[in-house]
Amino acid sequence: MAMLSFEKKYRVRGGTLLGGDLFDFWFGPFYVGFFGVTTIFCTLLGTLLIIYGAAIGPTWNLWQINIAPPDLKYGLGLAPLAEGGLWQMITFCAVGAFLSWALRQAEISRKLGMGMHIPWAYGMAVFAYITLVVIRPVLLGAWGHGFPYGIFSHLDWVSNVGYQYLHFHYNPAHMIAITFFFTTTLALAMHGSLILSVTNPKKGEPVKTSEHENVFFRDFLGYSIGAIGIHRLGLFLALNAGLWSAICIVISGPFWTKGWPEWWGWWLNLPIWR
Amino acid sequence: MMPSVNRILLTAVVVGTTGCQFFGSVDRDVVQKGYRGTAMEVNYVSRDQNAAMAAMAAKMPAILPPAGESPPGPLPWQNVQVLNDISVAEFNRTMIAMATWVAGGAGNCSYCHNLASFAADTYPDGKAIYTKAVARRMIQMTRNINSEWTEHVGNTGVTCYTCHVGKPLPNGLWFYTDENQILRHYLDGAGARVTSKTIAPSAANRSSVKQTEWTYALMISQSNSLGVNCTFCHNSRQFASWDQAPPQRVTAYAGIQMLRDVNTNYLAPLAPVYHPSRLGPKGDAPKAQCSTCHNGVYKPLYGFQMAKHYPAIWGTHTDWVTPFPPAYTTPPAPIVMDTVAAAADSAGMAATPAGVATPAVTVPPPPAGPPVRTP
Repeated sequence: MAMLSFEKKYRVRGGTLLGGDLFDFWFGPFYVGFFGVTTIFCTLLGTLLIIYGAAIGPTWNLWQINIAPPDLKYGLGLAPLAEGGLWQMITFCAVGAFLSWALRQAEISRKLGMGMHIPWAYGMAVFAYITLVVIRPVLLGAWGHGFPYGIFSHLDWVSNVGYQYLHFHYNPAHMIAITFFFTTTLALAMHGSLILSVTNPKKGEPVKTSEHENVFFRDFLGYSIGAIGIHRLGLFLALNAGLWSAICIVISGPFWTKGWPEWWGWWLNLPIWR
Repeated sequence: MMPSVNRILLTAVVVGTTGCQFFGSVDRDVVQKGYRGTAMEVNYVSRDQNAAMAAMAAKMPAILPPAGESPPGPLPWQNVQVLNDISVAEFNRTMIAMATWVAGGAGNCSYCHNLASFAADTYPDGKAIYTKAVARRMIQMTRNINSEWTEHVGNTGVTCYTCHVGKPLPNGLWFYTDENQILRHYLDGAGARVTSKTIAPSAANRSSVKQTEWTYALMISQSNSLGVNCTFCHNSRQFASWDQAPPQRVTAYAGIQMLRDVNTNYLAPLAPVYHPSRLGPKGDAPKAQCSTCHNGVYKPLYGFQMAKHYPAIWGTHTDWVTPFPPAYTTPPAPIVMDTVAAAADSAGMAATPAGVATPAVTVPPPPAGPPVRTP
């Protein structure tokens, strides 16, 4: 397999976090490493368990396959396999696979001598997932508070959790998270369209440079954040979207048990217009 | 240097807040209402619930000792228009209980009686005792609820105390105003449902945002009244579906029907009986809603079975004829009010549900005698 130009830099010894030289090898184009092994192990086991769960479930309809967490009565204990135990094992595998993947990213970053931006960025998404299926259930005292693994069923869970708090759009952290998600897509759309424009000039014209990019946005918005700046901004927006998502769900239940509209009572009760 | 400081700070904040919450979460009490993983749950803070229960129990009057032997013979009193199917001893016991439940103390007979003549329907100065007339009607209503609305009140039943909680005026009474028009669903009988079955609005589908907001407001008033959330009665993946809903929704639906019976046949027609100071700005009688009995609890009095100790408020005999006393004022002309749907129509976009005729509802003038509910 042909090497990409930067692969020489990548295919170097060392930088491992665990296992020393033992797993420091490549499988075809893929770096393995200790965390590559654990990723594959957790992924395979988890996927097979999902397939097993589908097999003992009522349907093979992809939309309706559902691996549900245990009843609340099992608390933080283990549940029988067919009554949520599978969900617990699959959750364990998923967390193992996601964390392994983040650590493998860290090892590769070390090989490349770059910062830890990528594992931290990916780690934020993992953190949001862990918040949903581990941190919040532990805070509430039962694994049954995790979301079910299924295409439709997890959407039903989201809907009902929202209505548990009467109107989730009044959750202030949810508001902030949504704002960050939308702003992320806006920034990506603006940046992506800019890059596509400068790299696809009219026939016969040269590819434009960052000076053109800056001029366009200075004309358009009065300000250009710059080539590095837009990526920093994008990272900031995207990480905050994940972070505030995690915050908005972890405060629902452990922190606030009533309807979210009611939380805004402090605003209505401000002394200036009360 | 700076990034690592930030990282440590962030970690400290996350661990600190989640750690503190962990110890607070011991108080979280979550009740599962649906299949596992559907997140149909009701959230309580047990600390708050325990405090509320203790406060309620401390305030609740003790159950009176059972009635003793009655003297033989018919009731020794005049003008007993209701409760004339129980023994003398039970009658006296019930009167004492009612004074405690409604009038604030066991000795407060004068809230409903002329102490010079308990049989009289007027004070010594000749004015009608409106509280006595209302109380007679309320006794009939209580029996009607306990015998005809078991779908809602089960075998727990209700007593005067369920709503009055020791006070002459129950909580959550409402009158016609511009602000609480949604509550007219509990009297006018217009359906609150908004289920759009086509994508775009059309002549056949005139569901509107306004209607939806009203339904939401009505549902939230029920939620507040019972201290529960949406998933207590609904699976939000399909609110309208009865198949997916918890059984509480059936109880709640019976409760809405019960409220309409209570408001239409018992409370609203009392308007000419009340002292004018008890009436609303449009001259209508105080009416009930869910919170009137529930007081923020999913089962009134946390399900305490008070009624079973008072045989007088059970029984199918509800059809006593109790003529109302003369009205304080000339009965007002009938109030013509739009139905809820029609009001939504005029307030927002076209909102009349397809196939539902929406004539203006006329609140009837008070009948000569109390309307008798025929089961």
